[in-house]
Amino acid sequence: MAQELNYVVLTKGVPDFREGKVVFKEDNTLNRAATPTVMNPNDYLALEAALEAKVKYGGTVNIICMGPPPYKKVVQEGMQRYADHLYLLSDAKFAAADTLATAEAIRLAVQKLGGADIIFAGFKTADGETGQTGPQAAWKLGYSLATHVIRYNLNPEAGIFEVTRSIKDELEFVRGPLPAFLVTDPAFKSEYRTATQRLKLQDYREETKKRAYQFEEFLTIWDAAALGADEWKVGIKGSPTIVEAVDPIPRAPSERKARVINGRDRDQLQGVVELILERRA
Amino acid sequence: MAEYRDIWVFCEQRNGRFENVSLEMLGEARRLMDKYNVDYNEQESVVAVVLGHNIEHLVKEALGRGADRVYAADHSELKDIRMQPYTKIIANMSRQKDAHKNYDKPRYFLFPATNNGRDLSSTVLAELESGLASDCNKLYIKETTISHRAKTDGTPRVFYRILHMKRPDFSGYEWSTILCLDSPKMEYSPQACSVIPGSFKPLPFQENSKGEIVRYQFDLAQQDLLVTVTGHEKIPNLMDLTGHDVIVSAGRGIGKNPTEGLRLCIELARLLGGEMGLSRGVCTAKYTVEPAFAQYVTEARQIGETGQTVKPKLYIAVGISGAIQHKKGMDQSEFIVAINTDPMVPIHDFADVFIQGDLFEVLPQMIEQIKTGKKLEVVLSGGKV
Repeated sequence: MAQELNYVVLTKGVPDFREGKVVFKEDNTLNRAATPTVMNPNDYLALEAALEAKVKYGGTVNIICMGPPPYKKVVQEGMQRYADHLYLLSDAKFAAADTLATAEAIRLAVQKLGGADIIFAGFKTADGETGQTGPQAAWKLGYSLATHVIRYNLNPEAGIFEVTRSIKDELEFVRGPLPAFLVTDPAFKSEYRTATQRLKLQDYREETKKRAYQFEEFLTIWDAAALGADEWKVGIKGSPTIVEAVDPIPRAPSERKARVINGRDRDQLQGVVELILERRA
Repeated sequence: MAEYRDIWVFCEQRNGRFENVSLEMLGEARRLMDKYNVDYNEQESVVAVVLGHNIEHLVKEALGRGADRVYAADHSELKDIRMQPYTKIIANMSRQKDAHKNYDKPRYFLFPATNNGRDLSSTVLAELESGLASDCNKLYIKETTISHRAKTDGTPRVFYRILHMKRPDFSGYEWSTILCLDSPKMEYSPQACSVIPGSFKPLPFQENSKGEIVRYQFDLAQQDLLVTVTGHEKIPNLMDLTGHDVIVSAGRGIGKNPTEGLRLCIELARLLGGEMGLSRGVCTAKYTVEPAFAQYVTEARQIGETGQTVKPKLYIAVGISGAIQHKKGMDQSEFIVAINTDPMVPIHDFADVFIQGDLFEVLPQMIEQIKTGKKLEVVLSGGKV
């Protein structure tokens, strides 16, 4: 019997951009302090992909997240979807990391776990939108990389994965050896074909919801020392890039001269409707 | 101290044709370097990197579009972009000294912000261990005085010849300036970024441009070829929005009540004989909508940089702020009407009519007026006959 498969899901805490939650400052820049932190919405798909692997091939699902102690809430949110174990990388030395320094912390954490057969990550985070950290961590670990994955299959005995990728107007079929780093596309969909799989799925979902109530029992917090991190390779000190400034984008000269209409004024709206009917023809 | 020179540009190609962004980057690299060489009295070059199979014509095109030198890696195994061999070859090209290159690493490096280009920029820069900014649309080189906890121990210090990499955020309001700077312990080069397609203008093709061609010699190790592309399939275009005269697009403004927002947009689109489009924000928001409407929330309806580009007679943007990515997919529409509660949103600047108001109040009124207006129209035209 082969060794049990080990999955890692990378998650990130991001500002909650949903209507009613997100708070902007007067100049329209994000008010981070007043906006709650939630799990990056795309990471749910990575968790769904890991759960699919667990249902079909067995194994253990570990969530890894980097952030300050309040980010416990983020990994708890992940466990509500599915996780066996939670790992929070939390240390002032990890703070203000750019993508390369974040990838380094992830590399160390995955190696401390004894490696993974598959790492799943969601496409781009809602705040940074770089999409760089996953591929950089995969490269540092030397894992096969496939991004924009909408479906996948494993052959654990042969140590092979097969994925379907979405590249703009084309599907691309890719296969390669495990261990692999798979980044799910927003269009990712799990597929459960048998009743046995669907029953297992239901059981796992119920289990994890119960676990999530006492998630701290399943949570390990690792600091920089625990990971044996070189302080010049993680956090602010290990980041090649800095954000020099964040400023409002200056308005280019208007390309069109908009007629401004008061949406509450029925007569003005009627005028627009007439214009629309004219323009459409 | 190691030596760094030149600006390198990874020119992505697919099926023997450059992606437009490759030519746009070459044009911008040319402009940046021409100014740089005057400002600093240097003679540094624009270096194009082209990988693929049977790419001789692309090498010529790169030279005619602004490159001084082209590094070309031609091999049947490089036909498709594959992370492992591509990353190794590009990283090795850029850090090995040869007859054409006597410096340690490039000073600057540009990649396209396409699906594959973004991945490749990440792995190449992880291999070169330097800094990378993603999705930039404005670049300039100048010195800068920085006071930073890790980079300068909190005291002001001048950094020279720094590539300022500006990237717009999701909302279209903010612009972050990213810099890649040495730290007291590490030198970081190249300063690299990925570039949003459509941000820069390509140069017109110059026949017979002189330049150097480096046919890069490399070995492919078996272990670098384990991940293979086994096939491609065109996605049937289930929802082609390009041919329609009217498009009504829904944005994040519908978030308060996504089902109702979609219902209103669909109704308006139908009344006007058009189709409904979506902003990227709606496609990625994972809204919970009533089952009957779930089928409408699909990337196949996405308009913008990563979706479709449309040029209808009439484009109605409902609750869309107009981030640059969305703008690219619709700003060639003949007539643009925007509905938004916030008069400061970017779309105000490229709309013909801006209705300031809550879409949940405005759309029902418009729909009602169109319905009654239609009857009127019939009566009137009937009267004429």
